[in-house]
Amino acid sequence: MKRLFRLATGPEDIGRSPGFWGAFAVLILYLFASPLWLGEFEAYNISFYLLNLPLALGLCLLWGYCGVLSFGQVAYFGIAGYVYGIIAGNLVGTGWGPIAGELGGLAACVVVSAVFGYFVFYARVQAWIVPILTLVLTLLLETFLGQTAGYQWRVGNVQLGGYNGMTGIPSFQVGNLVFYGYAFYYFVLVAVVLCYFACRMVVNSHFGKVMLAIREDPLRAELLGYDIRARQLGVFVLASVLAGISGLFYVQWGNYITPSQVGLVSAALPVIWVAVGGRTSLLAVAISTYALNWVNYSLSSAGNQYALVIIGALLVIVMLFFPRGIVVMLAEAGFRGSLARLRAALRLG
Amino acid sequence: MNGAGTYLATRDLAKRFGGIVATEQVSLDIAEGELRCIIGPNGAGKSTLFALLCGIHRPDSGRIFIKEQDVTSLPSFRRVRLGVGLTFQTNRAFHDLNVRQNLEVPMGATGSATHSRSARSEDRYRYALSVFGLDGLRETPARELPHHQLQWLEIAMVLSGGPDILLLDEPTAGMSPEETTQTARVLQHLNDDGLTIVVVEHDIAFVRQVAQRVTVLHQGSVFAEGSIDEITAHDDVRRIYLGQA
Repeated sequence: MKRLFRLATGPEDIGRSPGFWGAFAVLILYLFASPLWLGEFEAYNISFYLLNLPLALGLCLLWGYCGVLSFGQVAYFGIAGYVYGIIAGNLVGTGWGPIAGELGGLAACVVVSAVFGYFVFYARVQAWIVPILTLVLTLLLETFLGQTAGYQWRVGNVQLGGYNGMTGIPSFQVGNLVFYGYAFYYFVLVAVVLCYFACRMVVNSHFGKVMLAIREDPLRAELLGYDIRARQLGVFVLASVLAGISGLFYVQWGNYITPSQVGLVSAALPVIWVAVGGRTSLLAVAISTYALNWVNYSLSSAGNQYALVIIGALLVIVMLFFPRGIVVMLAEAGFRGSLARLRAALRLG
Repeated sequence: MNGAGTYLATRDLAKRFGGIVATEQVSLDIAEGELRCIIGPNGAGKSTLFALLCGIHRPDSGRIFIKEQDVTSLPSFRRVRLGVGLTFQTNRAFHDLNVRQNLEVPMGATGSATHSRSARSEDRYRYALSVFGLDGLRETPARELPHHQLQWLEIAMVLSGGPDILLLDEPTAGMSPEETTQTARVLQHLNDDGLTIVVVEHDIAFVRQVAQRVTVLHQGSVFAEGSIDEITAHDDVRRIYLGQA
């Protein structure tokens, strides 16, 4: 238990002071209590901002901590969503269909990412080619799914639906308990908090240190005795499973999925969320992902056609003025400011 | 193939890059517990030899043996797990990590000597940490260390993996005479403690301080081998390497 606590609160992320953990606890309590004053619709919207966090945290692990940029994490988001839709849709009324769907969706993510990642990492593909290959995979998936219109493209009772997508996907359900409204909100909230702590434990473990070493200098890391291909593959599969978790939540939230969810725009968004917050910090990525999803959703739902242009412009501004990410650079500036204040106070004292 | 007590051996090792011959027919025997220096003019094939020994490059022909096991086709990380530790000519400590992180990374390489890192390896590592003055700098980012300490950090980092043989490519490049002497002292201590060390070096003064045997590479081949006195007295070596008639 002590070890788990040490791993969760270790040094490889911003936010380590007692003050931070106090604020973190207050935030979690606030989120747990907020259905007391939030309407079910608002809680449902917050679920949407939250459900993208595992996808972003996975990309943060892969890109920020391990140095491998994947431009196609939404492929696993889509694979999990579609596989869940197929399995749960065919097992409607059984009560355990959604659980089987979740397991099937995540298993599909593991298999596809492991096979794809094996060829990428064991072939020692150069780092700059990986984003292109991963993007190609997700665009191929989009193209394939886009041409699945027609009755012949069905699995059991479930139609893939071409560009119109798959509709009527069942919500998550355990026995008779259907996770809808507030229940879904709590389901996502608990899962996201667990994902965040799990990722913090990974980066603070010895495995996490080796990830950092691989990011810094793959050859040096290999010459310290690590099979970097296996490590990179492991992180890639983990990131894909996290993307799959987001995909599962997404289809359970909206009860539909379309090929555009694995298209170019969707593929670019997680990269923007991670870059804007600061890819070297899980906390920064969690904050920026929540905030940018809120901005995007609020602008889109208000009928603003420029939501994506604004998000894109934000990326350009961040790259120019906050190359390591807004949250990370503000946190460092705050930390340095506090140190300077402390030094000044000591001098005065 | 290789004689008793030989830790590392190569047989007729050859490597070409396009039309350029980097090494040709290099046969070496490094005895267990030896401290060997490899010298030679620029382009003699010293760094290529190291890259072949630790698996960065595959030889076009020839074999490499570690403790009589043929490792020619083994990937780098497996050779490290057999006990090989290497530092590069250009410092490759992890500059964006702090000293503590740099030293912790090698601990726990699956299946390496580290898991059962012997008390002896532990002593060597602790000794290097304290003599190099890295003990008190654990939270300092590596990029803030002065050049010589960055070089020492890379040596300590490799030692923290518990190697049986240390391959050092110009470990004193850019160091002051005092820092070079300090490095020589540490290497001698580690060697006295039984660690096998092979050093590629340009600095003859340093070679004089540490080497038991010296191998001279020239145009990719072993040109001469012997004690430092024999090598420096060798007319042809003086001509090609020391620039004397």
